[in-house]
Amino acid sequence: MNDHKPNMLAPALIGGAVAGVLSGIPFLNCFCCLWIIGGAVLASYLLAKDSPVSLTSGDGAIVGALAGISAAVVDSLVGIPLHGLNVAVMRRMMERLSEFADEMPSGWENWLDRTGGGVSIAMFFMGLFISAAVFAALGALGGIIGTSLFGKKKAQGAEIAH
Amino acid sequence: MKKGPNTVLMTWLLVLLGGLLWNAALFAAPLLRQEAPVVSAMIYAAFSPVCHQIPERSFFFRGFPLAVCGRCLGIYLGFSAGTILYPFLHRFSRPFLPATSIFVLVSLPIGLDTAGNFLGLWTSPIGLRLAAGLVWGSVLPFYLITGLYEVLRLFSGNFRLKSPGQTN
Repeated sequence: MNDHKPNMLAPALIGGAVAGVLSGIPFLNCFCCLWIIGGAVLASYLLAKDSPVSLTSGDGAIVGALAGISAAVVDSLVGIPLHGLNVAVMRRMMERLSEFADEMPSGWENWLDRTGGGVSIAMFFMGLFISAAVFAALGALGGIIGTSLFGKKKAQGAEIAH
Repeated sequence: MKKGPNTVLMTWLLVLLGGLLWNAALFAAPLLRQEAPVVSAMIYAAFSPVCHQIPERSFFFRGFPLAVCGRCLGIYLGFSAGTILYPFLHRFSRPFLPATSIFVLVSLPIGLDTAGNFLGLWTSPIGLRLAAGLVWGSVLPFYLITGLYEVLRLFSGNFRLKSPGQTN
């Protein structure tokens, strides 16, 4: 965006990796979208730290969206070894759901058995694409919040306006 | 060139539409559970990386839980409510980011509630989770509209064809 601003890729990858790992661990996902927004805030902070000039909210949106996309990739990769655990968690959740729901759809146990057997390549990439879109939106939001918190630079005692 | 207000309006419409679609998907998941179980499962799966989806902490619709928990529902509904309020508070002048103090203030309820529940200090009723999410979510569009506006302005500036004789 600007010659004076550092490359966004490294901060986005670091923020995305942190967010992806944390959101991929079953127990820690109780924090919902916080990890994605937090990872994007981290990416924005890292970008601001290395930038000699103030960042705009547009910079935050781009670095945050990139962090969200890389978080989706990391989350999917982390999910591969944890797939069995995730299915077990999902099964427990569905069993609890059956106590709450009026009527479960027929054959839901078989649907779980199908997913429990492994993930096809097509399903993996489809899931990754959807996750990337959702994560990018939340990441953009986190990146903008990050620039509002860390993006302003003071030069010689005077604040540089956006 | 008159691009400011038009770009803000376009950005606002994009965010409004995106938010409404997002919220519609939350309700579509339980709604389609019987009629289109595959589509419903895909929606549940799409939101699973960004929400725990625990039924006890979720609102139900047509006998099934929504695609996200009560707190997340509050955030997303608050987001749409904030987007609808946006023109009344900011009009369509050049958007700007909210003050940090406002962000801290609206983050306090959801931060305290989440931390308290995680640490086992208390268990909030679902209505309180929803309310905390609503408060936090309502300020988020003021960030997203500002950021998206900057991005759209940047890209429209880069890709706009220059007319003959136009210097910039």
